[in-house]
Amino acid sequence: MRRLQSISHRLRNLFHKDAVERETDQELHFHLERQIAEHAAAGMSPEEARREALLEFGGVEQFKEECREARGAKRIESLLADLRYGFCTLRRSPGFTIVSVLTLALGIGANSAIFSMVNALLLHPYNFRNLDALVRVWEDRGIDEGYDARYMAPADAQDLRSTNDVFEGLATYAFQSFGLGKEGDLRPILGCRVSANFFDVLAITPAAGRLFGAAEEQPGADQVAILSYRSWQGRFGRDSQLLGKTISLNSRAYTIIGIMPKNFDYPVPVELWVPLALTPAEKGDRTQLSLSALARLKPGVTVSRAGTVLAGFSHRLEQQYPRTNAGRATTLLQMRKELYMFTLPLFLLLQAAAGCVLLLACANLANLVFARMIGRHREIALRAALGAGRGRLGQLFLSETLLYSSAAGILAVATSFAIVRALRTSIPAGWTKWVPGWDGIRVDGNVLAFTILVALSVGFFLGLATVLHTSRVEPNKTLKETGSGTATPAKRRVRSALVVAQVMLALILLVCAGLTIQGFVRLATVYRGFEPASVLRMEISLPEKLYSDNVKITNFYHRLLRATASLSGVQHASLVTNPPASNVDSETTFFTMEGQAALKISEIPSADLQIASSDFFDTLKISLIAGRIFSDTDGANSAPAAVISRGMASRFWPKGDAVGHRIKLGPQDSAEPWLTIVGVVGDVRQNWWNSLTRPVIYQPFGQSPQRSITVLVRTTANPTNSVSAVRDVVRQMDPGIALRGINTLEEEIADSIAIIRIMGILMGIFGLLALALSSIGVYGVLSESVAQRRHEIGIRLALGADPRDLMKLILGQALKLTGIGLVIALPCAVAISRAMAHLIFGVVSVDFTILGGFTALLVLVALGAGYFPARRAMSVDPMVSLRYE
Amino acid sequence: MSKPTDLVQGTLDLLILKTVAVEPMHGWAIAQRIRQVSKEVLQVNQGALYPALHRLEQQSWITAEWGESENNRRAKYYSLTKSGKKYLQSEQANWERLSAAIGLVLNTA
Repeated sequence: MRRLQSISHRLRNLFHKDAVERETDQELHFHLERQIAEHAAAGMSPEEARREALLEFGGVEQFKEECREARGAKRIESLLADLRYGFCTLRRSPGFTIVSVLTLALGIGANSAIFSMVNALLLHPYNFRNLDALVRVWEDRGIDEGYDARYMAPADAQDLRSTNDVFEGLATYAFQSFGLGKEGDLRPILGCRVSANFFDVLAITPAAGRLFGAAEEQPGADQVAILSYRSWQGRFGRDSQLLGKTISLNSRAYTIIGIMPKNFDYPVPVELWVPLALTPAEKGDRTQLSLSALARLKPGVTVSRAGTVLAGFSHRLEQQYPRTNAGRATTLLQMRKELYMFTLPLFLLLQAAAGCVLLLACANLANLVFARMIGRHREIALRAALGAGRGRLGQLFLSETLLYSSAAGILAVATSFAIVRALRTSIPAGWTKWVPGWDGIRVDGNVLAFTILVALSVGFFLGLATVLHTSRVEPNKTLKETGSGTATPAKRRVRSALVVAQVMLALILLVCAGLTIQGFVRLATVYRGFEPASVLRMEISLPEKLYSDNVKITNFYHRLLRATASLSGVQHASLVTNPPASNVDSETTFFTMEGQAALKISEIPSADLQIASSDFFDTLKISLIAGRIFSDTDGANSAPAAVISRGMASRFWPKGDAVGHRIKLGPQDSAEPWLTIVGVVGDVRQNWWNSLTRPVIYQPFGQSPQRSITVLVRTTANPTNSVSAVRDVVRQMDPGIALRGINTLEEEIADSIAIIRIMGILMGIFGLLALALSSIGVYGVLSESVAQRRHEIGIRLALGADPRDLMKLILGQALKLTGIGLVIALPCAVAISRAMAHLIFGVVSVDFTILGGFTALLVLVALGAGYFPARRAMSVDPMVSLRYE
Repeated sequence: MSKPTDLVQGTLDLLILKTVAVEPMHGWAIAQRIRQVSKEVLQVNQGALYPALHRLEQQSWITAEWGESENNRRAKYYSLTKSGKKYLQSEQANWERLSAAIGLVLNTA
């Protein structure tokens, strides 16, 4: 309260300065009058009384100043004066001001744009209450297959749920694809089966309706569904009466009991959630790791404490159920950290790069400010001579640099809205939902605060640097000097050091940018092993009612493929369960090799399972390594066959004799038939994050028919031209079947790596900025040094120096500065690119072409930046420059 | 006129606060009152008085208001604020403790 009064008082002093001054005047005047009256009353004559009073009173002006100081008005007044003065100085040199504000705004803007992504993706990927208490839990079999392969056995999960004392709740879930709708119009829909406490653990309440009850986890009572907001909007047209209605999923009637809030997309954007109703047999299963699990830590329980508890838990299970649980370790990871593994390196790199751009801009600005300070030497010396202390001068410089940085900050904020919107819409709309938090990229309070903080600290540190740089002004010496001030050697060294630092930063940034772009290009061409050009893909799904058995399904697809392949412009038509670049991992399966001893469950090998028709390998031009590919005779009545990938063949049959061996899906005792390996085909990159050599088992479509599958068509011309013809074929065969996800494979690939492409583009922009800023820096310092050496150059020329030697002198200086910077930067760049190779997809390792190329580029740029000042030096007229002094 | 006793740093504030605690008063009256009450021992110099008044006002211990003086002139009247009252009490207690302590030392030594 008192502080508030004090502030309002101070403001009054500030804004009603004249009134306050007048009042002080009046007050002192009144005092004087009373004193005179007093003396007169004591018997003095009026003149005597007045004289005496004035004498007693002393220096009126001095009191007034003391009063002013007592009111605390002085400090603010001087600050305002400084700001006013700073503003005038800036206005007097508009070119300088515009350049510095623009470069700073670039640096600050780059940082706030990247921070808006960091803010959304790393700090607020999900808006769950107390996100840090949410953990993913899984059973590690000693080979952590990452993000998408972390599961628990249902019985283990149940045991953990009932025995631990560290989790508030443990929820389990599993994805399931459903056929939604009436017979004849079944549409595939991705759903998630979740335990009843799933939403409670996440602490999410539905936007409408209710959550699952515990009773609905029982098989038979589980026909209830909760819709995602997106699905309610897209599929059900925002029907406000939807709650309580039933929908048909896989021909069972489900009652819709709830709709989730708008941005709830956990675990991935699914369209609906249904209860995870396991049969008693499924519940008791310890063999298959089939459920994903997440848990909320009790308040006060740390992740490491929970980790210890989980270790004890797995140990108990190992002893109790050695047959299934040997070698399994229950592990946990914070949900946020799980995302970090994927996004953190990318965004740290981007934020660091943006930081480098800002540093470069600051170095440039510092150089400009320092150069101007030399011009203002006399002014500063005069101020110092008139009694301005170091603090007072500091305030002057600070207010100037703060003016720059605030202007730059305002500019950055003003443009950030558009830039951030461009970033948010830079990846295709259909993909943003797969990146948690992406749709939340916007300029919010955090981003604004960050921008303001960056702008102010830049201004502050620049001001501080200027103060330190000009601290040793000796008024006596400076004022006696004639001509414009000159830089002392020490100060020139500071500015040279700045240029060296700039060259360093520029090289490091360029190398990082080069590696990222190269990594992106490598990812874009990562889909090796097949030819994506001229291939059309579409998803198709047959209704269960009309296509109830395998014969009907096989017949339909057989006719479809034949009709499609006979279209003009179509080379091949085929089927596959999971085409490349689908952004979904293939189904994985255990397999057993014939003749091999029984393995512990934890040691059974696994592979991706694909079901493909005979033309699949030709459609994608996947090479045949050994044996044969499927033929139309691999049907229901012939011996079960399989084709495996080269990676699988070389890993499990290193002698190269895979063809002819038999394998079986599942463990030793599974009822699956033995499959004879008939061929080995080349490795195919499934998705950009998968390794190329993942083992893959292909089964012929004829022996394992699927209702939902992807059709691939290779055309001779532009694949989009064939879309309507293929549609017609399907419509003629069965008008009730819809095609989904029609796209060319090439476009699908481009979309799937859109995020990496954005990274590449941003890094490229930062690299170019770095190049531009550092060349400006070299140019600025050299032209300044030429300007200051005019006199010296004039004398040299007058004494007959060869202009070409002068050219060499100046260019030599440019090369020296750049050279030092490069020599320091090269080892750093090598180290950083080593680190990047570990962290960023697609970046392989140190690339000496990139390193060498950018080093050469920077040398060239330095020579170019030195050339113009050198030309100016050569054209110096000795007479003019000598007279000028 | 004898040279006024130099006031201990900060004591002037205490004297002013105590004086205006009685009733709102203008600067001249404050000086007069201190002089009279102290039996002419304490002479408050205007040069010290007005900066002190302005400082106390700045700190919100006292507040000022323009009013009519006894000789029908406009004068600035200072009065004690609530927080000023509290401050005065604590400062007075401090002072009494201090002077008693000094008295003890002087009398026993």
